[in-house]
Amino acid sequence: MLKIQNLSATVGEGEAAKTIINGLSLEVPAGEVHAIMGPNGAGKSTLSYVLTGRDGYEVTGGAATLDGQDILAMEPEDRAAAGLFLSFQYPVEIPGVPVMTFVRTAMNAQRKARGEAEISAPDYLKKSREVAKMLNLDADMLKRPVNVGFSGGEKKRLEIYQMLMLEPRFMVLDETDSGLDIDALRTVAEGVNALRAPERGMLVITHYQRLLDHIKPDKVHVLAKGRIIKTGGPELALRLEEEGYDGVLAEAV
Amino acid sequence: MSAALKDMIRNPTVAELELVARYAALKADPRRERLFEAFAQTGLPHRRNEEWRWSDFKAAVTGLDVPAAPPAADPLATDGVTTLKFTPQGYTAPATLPPGLRLLAKDEAQAMSGAENAPLGALAAALSGAKNAPATLLAEVTDEAPVRLHMVFSGPGAINAARVVFLLRPGARLEVSESHLGGAAFSTALVEYTLQEGAKLSRVVYQRGGKTEAQAITALIHQDADAETKQTVLAFGAKVARIETRLVHQETGSHATLNAAYLAGDGYHIDFTSHVRHGARACVTRQVTKGAVLDGGRGVFQGKFHVPRNAGQQTDASMQHNALLLEEGAEVFAKPELEILADDVQCAHGNTSGALDQNQLFYLRQRGIPLEKARALLTEAFIAEALEEAGDHQEALRAEAQSWLSEV
Repeated sequence: MLKIQNLSATVGEGEAAKTIINGLSLEVPAGEVHAIMGPNGAGKSTLSYVLTGRDGYEVTGGAATLDGQDILAMEPEDRAAAGLFLSFQYPVEIPGVPVMTFVRTAMNAQRKARGEAEISAPDYLKKSREVAKMLNLDADMLKRPVNVGFSGGEKKRLEIYQMLMLEPRFMVLDETDSGLDIDALRTVAEGVNALRAPERGMLVITHYQRLLDHIKPDKVHVLAKGRIIKTGGPELALRLEEEGYDGVLAEAV
Repeated sequence: MSAALKDMIRNPTVAELELVARYAALKADPRRERLFEAFAQTGLPHRRNEEWRWSDFKAAVTGLDVPAAPPAADPLATDGVTTLKFTPQGYTAPATLPPGLRLLAKDEAQAMSGAENAPLGALAAALSGAKNAPATLLAEVTDEAPVRLHMVFSGPGAINAARVVFLLRPGARLEVSESHLGGAAFSTALVEYTLQEGAKLSRVVYQRGGKTEAQAITALIHQDADAETKQTVLAFGAKVARIETRLVHQETGSHATLNAAYLAGDGYHIDFTSHVRHGARACVTRQVTKGAVLDGGRGVFQGKFHVPRNAGQQTDASMQHNALLLEEGAEVFAKPELEILADDVQCAHGNTSGALDQNQLFYLRQRGIPLEKARALLTEAFIAEALEEAGDHQEALRAEAQSWLSEV
């Protein structure tokens, strides 16, 4: 499904350009959930931005495809319409734009790009109510401007709300667990797990094992210095938790 | 034309000579002469006049025979609301007026206070109120039940120079909307509101002119004790457009909200100038101006609060101007000015201009919203605050902004 081959990318321009992703290869088949763990500065967030097409990152080599489609050549909105979703580590505040307006506009823009009919207002509201209930989101929150005045935990839950509404085919979760207490973590994980399906894939970026207790990965990759240095099963995450990155990194070199 | 008339304006342009000729054709009258002299001191204002440095009417008005585009459509027209129409030929009003409103058309010039500070307002006053000329209209509002009124200023014609003078009696309420739709080579409207004790004015202004036209809208507002004005403007500009509000808090407890939003496309110029004098204790002014400008467009904001040493104690005033430069080549000039001589006051001002937030744009695009749509959504949200006090007209103004944004 998602195939990354020998990917290299820099941040910054000209003389200041710095290589952050350095020959990274990774494949997530449909139906699987993979976790990426790694120390600060390993390139985890950069990978999520390069995949989704944020300005300021330049791909200097390699390829990334989603179901064979070269996503690196596409505009960010076209990647989204192709089914790629990023749950942001730091969700952005959009003053003046209510959540409902925002998500419905996004949903219909994606549908339009795919040649599908728009969702009707009643259908949207029905779905929104179901999703909000699952995530314990207050209906009033959805009338407020996107993320404005939301707590860290509310912002993360709103990311998952959007994900459940948009039903993407491939999800990148960038440190979705940060800022969540244990109850919120469980709720968020429940939302994420609801989207696990044979035709979907997921890349879960995290520092800590605890999220992976709730979202069970099929594989765990260790990212360091811009490339995958070790891949294993869920037990690798447990080992990292016990031994820290230093032990695993030393072993890999 | 007599030599004396010709000499009223130094080094007159063709357009200024035409204005002199128009004035000369009206019946002579000492008040009219004083008004025209007030205009002639500066002539068409130009960039060497400090208050007009970014809005050069002398350069923009090349003549009065310049063909103008047809007037813009009117988004504020509402069925059943009393509508006054001001054209270069005069004015029209319905036969029956709502209770609490009295109109008096004048066929001679009426005195104007502070004419020397508002040359284009003085010009409107000097050229209106005569037979076969644009109107000078006096209006008296006496009812505590709100009087609703809509005024349209539009061409076609060479020059549209209307003047309307409102007197709101104690406790009276007026909800007025004004559509300045262009259609003349040069339009200058002078609208005056005097609010007596406890009177309330809601004023909503929509301005849209053509790319070859010059437009000036001058409002003079005087407020007595506990009077209140809420003003909202949405402007799209013209070749050059100036929307000026000069407000005086004359007695204690007077309150003013002056909000405005502007959207300037390629070839359009919008100037918001305001002057608020806190001439009495414990008066309040809230001012929010928001704008967005494209490549080739120009926005100007000049806001001034004047708080005199003794009279202005306990003033509470805030001024905010925020502009979005949507493209390279967009221009915004801003000059917020607080002249505070009193020591027991709360005055704040903020002024920013910059591009759309890249983090916000990326967030919207990551959710699948195309770049153009994302820009439009963020820009609309950005200016929305300035339209929040427009009452029943808020939706219509937002729809106009949306429609403009969906086309750029």
